[in-house]
Amino acid sequence: MPSSFLVATFTDAEKLLHAVRAVRQENLRIYDVYAPYPIHGLDAAMGVRRTRLPWVTFLVGCCALAFAVTFQFYTTVLDWPLNVGGKPDNSTLAFVPICFELTVLLSGLATVAALFLRARLYPGKKESLFAEGVTNDTFALVLRKREAPFDLHRARKLLQESGADRIREREMEQ
Amino acid sequence: MSDLGKGDQSRGCKSAKDQLVQINGAAAPSYWKSPEELHNGARRTAEFPGGLPSSPTGEETTRRDFLAAMGFTVAAAGLAGCRAPVQNAIPLLVGSDEIIPGVANWYATTCRGCASSCSLLVKQRDGRPIKIEGNAESALFGGGTCATGQATVLSLYDDARLRAPLWQGQPTTWQEIDKRVLASLREAQETKSEIVLLSGSVVSPSVQSIIAEWRNSHPHFRHVEYDPVSFTALRAANELSFGRPVVPHYAFDKARVIVGLEADFLGTWLSPVEFARQYAANRNPEKAPALHIQFESGMSVTGSNADLRVAVPPSQLGLVAVALLRRIAHKAGIAPVAGTQDPLDARKLDAVADELWKYRGESLVVSGVNDRSIQVVLNALNAALGNFGKTIDINKPSLQRSGNDNAMAELVAKMQRGDVHTLLMHGVNPAYDYSEPDKFLDGLGKTALAVSFSDRRDETSSRAHAICPDHHFLEAWGDAEPVDSHFSLLQPLIAPLFETRAMQESLLRWIGHPEADYYKYLREFWRTNIFQRQKEIHDFETFWERSLQSGVVTVPPPAAASIPKFQGDWKAAVDRIQKEAGETRADADKSFELHCYETVPMRDGRHANNPWLQELPDPITKVTWSNYASIAPQTAKKLGVNQGDVIRLTAGTRKLELPAFIQPGQESHTISVALGYGRQQVGRAGNNVGWNAYAFTSMEQGDRRYFTKNIVIEKTGRTEKLGSTQTHFSMEGRPIVLETSMAELRRNAEPGNEPATQPSLWAERLHGEHAWGMAIDMNACTGCSACVVACQAENNVPVVGKDQIERIRIMHWIRIDRYYSGEEEDPVSVHQPMMCQHCQNAPCETVCPVLATTTSSEGLNQQVYNRCIGTRYCANNCPYKVRRFNWYNYTENPKFDFNMESPLGRMVLNPDVAVRSRGVMEKCSLCVQRVQLAKNVALQGKRELADGDIQTACQQACPSQAIVFGDLKDPNSRVSKMQHNQRRYQVLDELGTRPNISYLKKVRNPMETA
Amino acid sequence: MSTTSISVNGKAPDAARGIETQMLPPPSWVDDKPSLRDITDDIARPLEARPGKGWWICFGIAFAALLNLGGMVTYLFAKGIGIWGLNNSVGWAFDITNFVFWVGIGHAGTLISAILLLFRQQWRTSINRSAEAMTIFAVMCAGMFPAIHMGRPWDAFFIFPYFPNQRGPLWVNFRSPLVWDVFAISTYLTISLVFWYLGMIPDLATLRDRATGKIKKFAFRLLSLGWNGSHRTWSRYEIVSLVLAGLATPLVLSVHSIVSMDFATSLLPGWHTTIFPPYFVAGAIYSGFGMVLTLLIITRSTMNLQRYITLRHLDKMAKVTMLTGMIVSYAYLTEFFSAWYGGNLYERYHFINRATGPYAWCFYLMVLCNVVTPQLLWSRKARTSVRFLFIVSIMVNIGMWFERFVIIVVSLHRAFLPSGWGMFYPTIFDIGILVGSFGLFFTCFLLFIRLLPMIAMWEIKGVVGHGAHKMALSSDEDQEEVAVNA
Repeated sequence: MPSSFLVATFTDAEKLLHAVRAVRQENLRIYDVYAPYPIHGLDAAMGVRRTRLPWVTFLVGCCALAFAVTFQFYTTVLDWPLNVGGKPDNSTLAFVPICFELTVLLSGLATVAALFLRARLYPGKKESLFAEGVTNDTFALVLRKREAPFDLHRARKLLQESGADRIREREMEQ
Repeated sequence: MSDLGKGDQSRGCKSAKDQLVQINGAAAPSYWKSPEELHNGARRTAEFPGGLPSSPTGEETTRRDFLAAMGFTVAAAGLAGCRAPVQNAIPLLVGSDEIIPGVANWYATTCRGCASSCSLLVKQRDGRPIKIEGNAESALFGGGTCATGQATVLSLYDDARLRAPLWQGQPTTWQEIDKRVLASLREAQETKSEIVLLSGSVVSPSVQSIIAEWRNSHPHFRHVEYDPVSFTALRAANELSFGRPVVPHYAFDKARVIVGLEADFLGTWLSPVEFARQYAANRNPEKAPALHIQFESGMSVTGSNADLRVAVPPSQLGLVAVALLRRIAHKAGIAPVAGTQDPLDARKLDAVADELWKYRGESLVVSGVNDRSIQVVLNALNAALGNFGKTIDINKPSLQRSGNDNAMAELVAKMQRGDVHTLLMHGVNPAYDYSEPDKFLDGLGKTALAVSFSDRRDETSSRAHAICPDHHFLEAWGDAEPVDSHFSLLQPLIAPLFETRAMQESLLRWIGHPEADYYKYLREFWRTNIFQRQKEIHDFETFWERSLQSGVVTVPPPAAASIPKFQGDWKAAVDRIQKEAGETRADADKSFELHCYETVPMRDGRHANNPWLQELPDPITKVTWSNYASIAPQTAKKLGVNQGDVIRLTAGTRKLELPAFIQPGQESHTISVALGYGRQQVGRAGNNVGWNAYAFTSMEQGDRRYFTKNIVIEKTGRTEKLGSTQTHFSMEGRPIVLETSMAELRRNAEPGNEPATQPSLWAERLHGEHAWGMAIDMNACTGCSACVVACQAENNVPVVGKDQIERIRIMHWIRIDRYYSGEEEDPVSVHQPMMCQHCQNAPCETVCPVLATTTSSEGLNQQVYNRCIGTRYCANNCPYKVRRFNWYNYTENPKFDFNMESPLGRMVLNPDVAVRSRGVMEKCSLCVQRVQLAKNVALQGKRELADGDIQTACQQACPSQAIVFGDLKDPNSRVSKMQHNQRRYQVLDELGTRPNISYLKKVRNPMETA
Repeated sequence: MSTTSISVNGKAPDAARGIETQMLPPPSWVDDKPSLRDITDDIARPLEARPGKGWWICFGIAFAALLNLGGMVTYLFAKGIGIWGLNNSVGWAFDITNFVFWVGIGHAGTLISAILLLFRQQWRTSINRSAEAMTIFAVMCAGMFPAIHMGRPWDAFFIFPYFPNQRGPLWVNFRSPLVWDVFAISTYLTISLVFWYLGMIPDLATLRDRATGKIKKFAFRLLSLGWNGSHRTWSRYEIVSLVLAGLATPLVLSVHSIVSMDFATSLLPGWHTTIFPPYFVAGAIYSGFGMVLTLLIITRSTMNLQRYITLRHLDKMAKVTMLTGMIVSYAYLTEFFSAWYGGNLYERYHFINRATGPYAWCFYLMVLCNVVTPQLLWSRKARTSVRFLFIVSIMVNIGMWFERFVIIVVSLHRAFLPSGWGMFYPTIFDIGILVGSFGLFFTCFLLFIRLLPMIAMWEIKGVVGHGAHKMALSSDEDQEEVAVNA
């Protein structure tokens, strides 16, 4: 069901930052901020917790490494040992490069995949833009009415003061 | 080697089945390693699960059986249209002529590649002869062969062979031919005009008796023997000296000092296989090795093996003989020899003379120069040294060369006068190899009927009225007597492929012989002659079968005559030599001499259409597919000639333009040009390869002379690429061929001095029953290259042609590296057979991404063609550069139109060896197919493999037995023993490759010359 | 709270953001401070405007070369690699030379986008996108050669371990450097692609929102995965790209090390040496930067992006080129020294032959391009003269190709046994396929600058967007930059 939002757009990242801080001081929950590039300090201002995605990298990396070692050992030593240049079946050192490459490959791919899942990004997804040009030169601060009901006028005023050049209410499918 | 008569298992000269029969007949000893084995029979390892496809102990049909059967069907189809299999062709040992698909039979026969007539064992597989090997039974030749002999099997499948007789160039029937020939002969009879049979040396006693019959039936019949490379002078000299026009039988193994004057007895002269065998046996450094001095103009195989090699221009060789005679005469106190001039450093001659005198009676001086004066002087020399009866046997002479230059010259004159009515020609091609071919052809045109027995339209036969193609010798019956009272037989290995007819049968028909069946005639001849001369066997049938089985019969010679006394007029000879040499010496500096010689691959040129021989690198120059003008480095510098510059050689009206090859050790005033090239009509492979030098031979004093004086050299400005398989001839001071001296050898002769092998970083991994290895004696190897062709025949190695060889893409699995040391003018040369070294720590294996090459549990470095993807990483990482890559599809590829392209030529392929496809790597497998066969046979026979059961193709072919293959795990095998020889070393073993192939150091025994 | 984020994971994430409170570089990385909208317009223009004449000419030439490649490779597959000049002595020549050459080229991209990111080099932002694209195309060219150099390319799949395996339990030889190559190259290509695409998603969204045409809209929507600039996504996005950078950095070093082991692990004089890995990596970066210079010098003028790819960028790259060039020269010296000092007969001969043998001219050409040329870059004049830099970059490419040729062919043509010595002469197909690979490379690159933003808009915005008024202390280097600017 569509819910209605309060969308304030800015042309300057600084003003946006001020607005975010101000709104937060009023204990209003910020739905999200939309920007053409990542703004420094916004995490803190919005109180976004740091992502746990690097753990995916680490765990998958470990599994990949384990797989690489066992696979090479199994094929070369257990499954069909052959006399190659008189070298011992378990030529461990020779396995190192491939262990490394597989670790990097699988953990890298897994991390990106995890990001796409977490951020719900997928090919052909219909984008939901709260304001024109958020991918170009506009910054948007979005509040959601349903959450912690607040005084609309106070909120508008607050945003106005902090330099939003346009504030409007929108009904959006979310 | 081994004695077949006693049913010895160790030679492969019988079908595996026959062998099984033998063994199950409890002929073989039955050792056992464990009680289980005693009760359950020999253990079966995973190596050969199925046993032999045809094992009589009827196992269920396997895939291999099916394929074998298919193979047989195909072969049978190939033979379709041929007559029924010849009867009475008897395989060795067992009187069974049945063909088991997939199992080879071995038949004894005699080589017709040249007149030497070596005894052979031929491998017949599914009805096709596919591999030629020497017959160890032969007292003369042993198990060895030469390159030419190995290659003759391919000539059997030559597309250029005639399918039927020709009349005036048109195919016709034998009846037609017979009608016309008989008519012509009758006419000749009536007009009392001459009938001539012109042939090469006739080594066959039965053919000689047929010719005798012709003499009787036709009063005007003459038989002329003609060899393009002639021994007339030698025979003439022996007539002058002893009243015996023969080529004596030489014993190089009895001589302590061997002196050769332009006699390439290890490569091409008279009977190289026999001589190489004697020579190698006589040069064994563990015993007292013979000393070998060679005087020659161009570098020959023999010269490259000599302890002292002296370069002498052909015109001066006579003086060398005289100078030696003078010294010996002086020592012996015979009448002094006129003159004092020495053609070269007197001290060298003194030293040689001293050695000869020191070992008088144990020395041997031979010369290939076709000049009766020189031969007479040498006879005098040998007589003075008392060599006759010791190293030279004139009572049991060699019958291998009986050509007569005078008779040939007279014949040509007669023909030109139109006095020859009917001319029959067998085994000759004068239009190509006579010194004045146009005269001959002119005469040929004047004959009423000229019949050639040639197997193809060659320069001569294409001008004859009729061609009656003779069988290839592998299709024919026959006999030979290469050396007095040493007889051998020919028997057919395959029904004649085409409508050819044995020359003997034609001859018999044309004198209206009651039954023109040469086989019957041959048997009859042997019954009445050879059978009578032997004592052991009293029943002819047994004698005949035994003779066919073993291929050779030696009968006691007629009463041993006394050694004839030398009564030649050597003084006259000396004068003639000195006179002529004097003339030449005068203008020696301005002009050059052209010296014509035979090369190991091409000989006199009769096999020019054999791609194996065309592609065989010359043992000295390593050049393939062409001849060239060998010129000394210093001379080349003087004339500003570079490798490959085409130079024009002019002598009066005779001209020859061919590329120069700068040959270290070449005599500075001599240009050497190989005979046998420049054929015009011989077949696809041989036409217009190289240049014909026979025009530079001439008749002097009744002998054909193979050098020409007063040659003028000019540069043409053109260059010609030479397809050489080795371009760098220096070892760059690297430890590749190690040498030692007799002194050093004696110094550390006591055991415990054998060199240690490199340690390995890793644990020993060979856990098979055997560890195959090979040892190569660098001292025995003469570089004759028989092994190269043998390997090519055994392993289906493709011919790639001149263009590919110029691109360094030769496919030979074994090559013979030849290095020079010392100064350019007078180099020391060495031959090193080089093939896959089967390293235990093989660098090639580690780098192969797909495990296409690994070491077998028995130490063989194996190549898996099906798995190979052709990254060539292995070849790059092989320090020996012995891996060969299929750059193209060399089989069934019009671009490489050699034997593998034609269905006929493919019949020579060995079914046991895969024909490699494009894009895969290949290399020496140590004849793994032979290893597997021998192991299967041993298993079927419930016996252990014996040392010598397995011979690789190269080992088998080697006349000097330089190569030994065997099991390194068996301490008593020959190869293990050689591994402990103090001369043993491994090439590049400092790299830690740990090859399974070892070499024995070359021993230098330089002759002290003041 | 930013301090907490710092204390947790170092300064990296801030660096990723391209701006910094404490250590803020001057905005001088982009000339005359454009507005965010200007940036979008400038960079998106080439994608919306019709391609100019110059582009069509270049594309024509490149595409012709590509067609030639197709033809020649088809013929190669039909006839066999006999059509090349290879022989029993020299089993590898142009094929593997080109392979190593292109892999080397491929190293600049990831270096710029990953390593420079970790080192917080602001100047990377203008060039990383095109450098990464170059990497991908170069690695594609490189990957082609091992495949076509095989005797039986149709069996190339044997080189991958796969299951079930029709040939019994037969796997690959994990001891063979060629197998290492397969893994290294494919990993490198995949990770580079992912990194490149990930970095492009926000810009693709920008283009999606600008797009007018239906098809364009659809395509960009498909590719941009519904990106809407949400800051929650931004913050995850940055961490992930940082992690990828962390993975790619050792990867980029490993790839050429492994390639160098093709030679180092063999026993051939001239190949068998332990300094190869660092030596090859330096060479790779050297050649990579050479190629980046070549490409950017052309594109910045043809697409008039001088504003974003400034002289100072070129200067920086010239410096890296010079540094790596000198590392390479040092490696050359070391090789000769150890050959002499090691006293190995074969090794010694090889290096004498390298300098005096039949291929000596290749060696001296290589020395001229890789040892002498970089020295000219000591002068700032040289580093800031576009024309001169262009010539230098071309010489670098030539020099590095010949370096690989010398290492491969000169080592092979005279190995241990003199009887196996021989010469290599290239055929028309050797040369044609080399040219063709350039065709493939430039075709891809020309299409890239037409269809995708060749400069990362969002990163530029990050640098320029704000912080202009936040001019903080800047390093001496930046002073220098300003000086250059003046």
